Amino acid sequence: MAVTRFGVINIGAHELDMEIYDISSARGIQKVDHIRHLVPLGKDAYSTQSISFQVLDEMCRVLQGFMEIMKGYRITAYSAIATSAIREAENSTIVLDQIRVRTGIEVKVLSNSEQRFIYYKAVASRETNFNKIIEKATAFVDVGAGSSQISLFDKKHLITTQNIKLGAVRLQERLRGMDLEISGKRRILNELVDNEIQTFHKHFLKDREIRHLIAVGDPLVYYVRKILGEGESEWIPAQQLQQLYERVMKMPLGELADQMDQTVESASLVLPALTIYKRILDDTSAEMVWMPNVSLCNGVAADYADKKKIVRLEHDFTEDILMAARNIAKRYMSNKNHTQMMEEVVCQIFDSMKKYHGLGKRERLLLQISALLHDCGKYISMSVPGECSYNIIMSTEIIGLSHMEREMVANIVRFNTKDMVSYERFQGHLTEKAYLIVMKLTALLRLGNSLDRSHKQKMKNIKIAMRNQQLLVTADTQEDITLERKSFDEKADFFEEIYGIRPVLKQKRGAK
Amino acid sequence: MGVDYYKPEYYRNRELSWIQFNYRVLEEARDKTLPLFERLKFLSITSSNLDEFFMVRVASLKDMVHAEYKKPDIAGMTPEVQLEKISEVLHEFVTLQYSTYNRSLLPLLEQEGVRVITSHEKLTREEGAFVDRYFQESVYPVLTPMAVDSSRPFPLIRNKTLNIAALIAKKSDGGEKNPEKNQEKGQEKHLDFATVQVPSVLPRIVRVPSKTGVAVILLEEIIERNIAKLFLNYDVVCAHPYRIERNADLSFDEDEAADLLKEIQKQLKRRQWGEVIKLEVDEHVDKRLLKLLKKELNIKDQDIYKISGPLDLTFLMKLYGLEGFDHLKVPKYVPKKVAAIDPELSIFENIRRGDIFLHHPYQTFDPVVDFIRQASVDPHVLAIKQTLYRVSGNSPIIAALAKAAENGKQVSVLVELKARFDEENNIIWAKMLEKAGCHVIYGLLGLKTHSKITLVVRDEEDGIRRYVHLGTGNYNDATAKLYTDCGLLTCNRAIGEDATAVFNMLSGYSEPLAWNKLAVAPLWLRNRFLAMIHRERDHAKAGKKARIVAKMNSLCDREIIAALYEASAAGVKIDLVVRGICCLKVGLPGISENISVRSIVGNFLEHSRIFYFYNNGEENVYMGSADWMPRNLDKRVEILFPVENEKLKNQVIHILEVELEDNVKARVLKPDGEYERVDKRGKVLINSQETFCVEAEQQEKGENPEEHARVFIPMESIDE
Repeated sequence: MAVTRFGVINIGAHELDMEIYDISSARGIQKVDHIRHLVPLGKDAYSTQSISFQVLDEMCRVLQGFMEIMKGYRITAYSAIATSAIREAENSTIVLDQIRVRTGIEVKVLSNSEQRFIYYKAVASRETNFNKIIEKATAFVDVGAGSSQISLFDKKHLITTQNIKLGAVRLQERLRGMDLEISGKRRILNELVDNEIQTFHKHFLKDREIRHLIAVGDPLVYYVRKILGEGESEWIPAQQLQQLYERVMKMPLGELADQMDQTVESASLVLPALTIYKRILDDTSAEMVWMPNVSLCNGVAADYADKKKIVRLEHDFTEDILMAARNIAKRYMSNKNHTQMMEEVVCQIFDSMKKYHGLGKRERLLLQISALLHDCGKYISMSVPGECSYNIIMSTEIIGLSHMEREMVANIVRFNTKDMVSYERFQGHLTEKAYLIVMKLTALLRLGNSLDRSHKQKMKNIKIAMRNQQLLVTADTQEDITLERKSFDEKADFFEEIYGIRPVLKQKRGAK
Repeated sequence: MGVDYYKPEYYRNRELSWIQFNYRVLEEARDKTLPLFERLKFLSITSSNLDEFFMVRVASLKDMVHAEYKKPDIAGMTPEVQLEKISEVLHEFVTLQYSTYNRSLLPLLEQEGVRVITSHEKLTREEGAFVDRYFQESVYPVLTPMAVDSSRPFPLIRNKTLNIAALIAKKSDGGEKNPEKNQEKGQEKHLDFATVQVPSVLPRIVRVPSKTGVAVILLEEIIERNIAKLFLNYDVVCAHPYRIERNADLSFDEDEAADLLKEIQKQLKRRQWGEVIKLEVDEHVDKRLLKLLKKELNIKDQDIYKISGPLDLTFLMKLYGLEGFDHLKVPKYVPKKVAAIDPELSIFENIRRGDIFLHHPYQTFDPVVDFIRQASVDPHVLAIKQTLYRVSGNSPIIAALAKAAENGKQVSVLVELKARFDEENNIIWAKMLEKAGCHVIYGLLGLKTHSKITLVVRDEEDGIRRYVHLGTGNYNDATAKLYTDCGLLTCNRAIGEDATAVFNMLSGYSEPLAWNKLAVAPLWLRNRFLAMIHRERDHAKAGKKARIVAKMNSLCDREIIAALYEASAAGVKIDLVVRGICCLKVGLPGISENISVRSIVGNFLEHSRIFYFYNNGEENVYMGSADWMPRNLDKRVEILFPVENEKLKNQVIHILEVELEDNVKARVLKPDGEYERVDKRGKVLINSQETFCVEAEQQEKGENPEEHARVFIPMESIDE
């Protein structure tokens, strides 16, 4: 039986972790080793926006040690990720470069949405009942060091996901130095949390009744479970969480640390985390809270196992990303019929062009999301929808997408209606390679869009196929498609420019 | 409530308790039922024990006095008071040591045909000629006599060396034969001090040709006899052996020692220079000579021991080695094979079939050596990690580790440089391992790594599998034949994870999020023990059966003792087997009436630590490296591990049961603080160590030890 050994390094706000996994189809994903080293990156990053050289030195030393350990396990495949602390540090480029030079480790900085998605993947891949749980309205609360992510599920699908700047380390940093009575501590924490949660409630929760709460956070949930006592199941009655909150509020840190078998530093993060869970719990009618015992590293391993097709995961994660995109479109009142048709058509074009564009599943997803969101800017301005769509996408969390991918989507949407510029004149953060993909996908989106220029879905039963170096688009319609035909021809020029293939539109009038 | 379990009168001073332990060893030397040569061995042990006690404990008390540290100990005694009391008790102890030697052992040796010639004056003419020739040929060339006068200061006298001091007078005209006469005539001559070290490179015991039996004389007597040859232009007025001990405690500041290795090497050199804390001299020493030594060595009367016999009785261990006297020794015990291990299979296959329990020295230590040896050449092994505290000379384990590194395995070894008196030894191994390519960690700042753990990581077909050995004794194949210790070989996943976490911590990474099975000092162990003691207390309070049985080397932790008192007061039945120091007092009304303490001093050194908690019928059994001492719980890396397999658990419980029934080698602590042998009248004699020897033999032969567990063999029949 083949076993793939995989290492994951996570540069977190509070500690550096490395987890080693044995992945096999027979035994699934087995954690073999977990090495931790507390390095207070977050303290630096959140308060001074930069990581000091002293901390960097220590970090490199620890990472070198991690490399040695991986060598010991004869690991060839590993993935190193970094989260909010590095993300928020202004000197992150230098930090990452130093890490590369000194340790040889290429660290990938996860965008918040990627990070949350991976974490969510870890949770979803752990429980075969996950799909069942989210049939009813469910809040998925992931409390991190710098921020928290609240995702809402209903009827098996992701409704929305929002990032709020409330994190355990961040809240603890606010409390630091204040010598507070219990009542004062309670008041300040509540005030800090209340405001954000209320806003979230007003905009996203509305009158939806939340029935389940999934509380996660690495390693916070671990700590909470530890205080609750050994052998606790992962499902905890809401009441017990409330009681725990009261207990921790009154407990001296030293005592708490003893109970957790952890340092006082780690213990100080528990109350802020509990405050967030409790505050959200207060807004729901959830009777049970699920606190699954997973780490971000678990998620990276699950993601790897999934991508390498060693392990099959039950839940359809791509569908989550699409659902999230659909909900964004809905929020900005996009024309649902139009975007739906667009989504179908561009996918057809994409699939029939496989040999010519050489792009994969991920790019197809980006194209799909672009189709779903290509219209959202109209919510703000009818005259410059391209720019507005671009801005909306750039400031929206799309779970599962990296910041780079999000920018690609935003640009595809923008260039749908605006002229494309050469890479040299492009102003943004995309690599040349990514920009090339943007160009290719833009050509597809434009062509697709032209087929429903009038937004009336005149054409039915659209068939797309490659014939004699031509992209043949046949559609059934009795209606007048002069507008569409004109638009199609215009877009075909750009299309030909990119692919060297001329799209041809054929109308079939035969059918009723 | 309201009982203060911490009152000083509830505790015994640890030094005095230790001296009691040494008394128990001395009792073995005085035990007429023991073979003569075994008695010599025990007397030798009391002597080396005492040396270490001085260098470590007395020295540290002296340091406290110098630092004007006045805080009383657990029993309410200040360092100064302790030193006074120790001196008083030890003077009596030494007297008993030498009366044992002179009155019991020497005559018995003579009877058995071993003549120890106690002074050179007793040599026959032929014997005298022999030793003089021996002196001239072998001794004289390596002697370095040193005289003190105005131009030559008092020389450095090395720690623990044997020396001969002499008063010498310049020959006035070469004709004077008897210098003593000069004094009688009132002609006070100027006397100089001279000293010569009895060379440690030569054997202390010199065999003298004898027509009947064996005759031996000690080297210092031969030198004394010939001392005039060292100071040719002088008359030797008197010459007497003396010996000093110095403060040897390595109390260096770890925060400042950038390189621990260098610092220890430096300390080793400095150790010779430590304050003199004990002077032993011949009881007939010349008063003038003693006065001079006292002044030069700067030592008080209470630290001077006048000895009626040879200084430093550890030479008796050499005497034990004399060939041809096997009938006067306990037959050498050969550790038995472990029946649970199938020699046809690799050690890893054996472990996969189930946890393996090892009981040394009754069972052989070979599986542990094999474990590392096989790992070193096994192509599936990725890594070997081990803690080494004290290793034997020529250790096969060290050799296997070096080989593993050469074979490309990742080998991490934590060598504890701070293992007392073994530093020199440890540094040599450490360097050798480094050369072989092992990753050597030299201990942790401020903590001694005392845990005994080995982890082998194997890359198997279905992924990583970890094999772990956990023990109560050091990885020392030599002492494993003499010390009673327990070990466990397992590939239990949870223990494997913990073992990895231990080594991650030892290499400087943070603690794991949680421990599955192991309890680790200094962070978690104390609380774990206290929690388990409290749990028994609560069970007793709730009217349930509650019981604690614990076996260890020393018990002197105040908090643990207080918890035991509290548990006893609540009705927990507590039986302790404590070989050495025990600061707990039994029979305190309302406090420790439910506690029994016994000490076993036998042929093997009791060394294993086993802890049993009834836990309302669940019966938790643990073994580990830690005693209930503050230093073990707070200043060391120690591991406590559970024995969960029912069969193995019963084996461990059986060990405790047999030891609690021992009525041959066990002494029971009485409320008056004295230890007494168990009243054996009307009882079957049970010698726990002998019982385990027999059982080990039975299991080797494949007989079910459980069936025979109750068949005790009276000791007499074995001594035949």
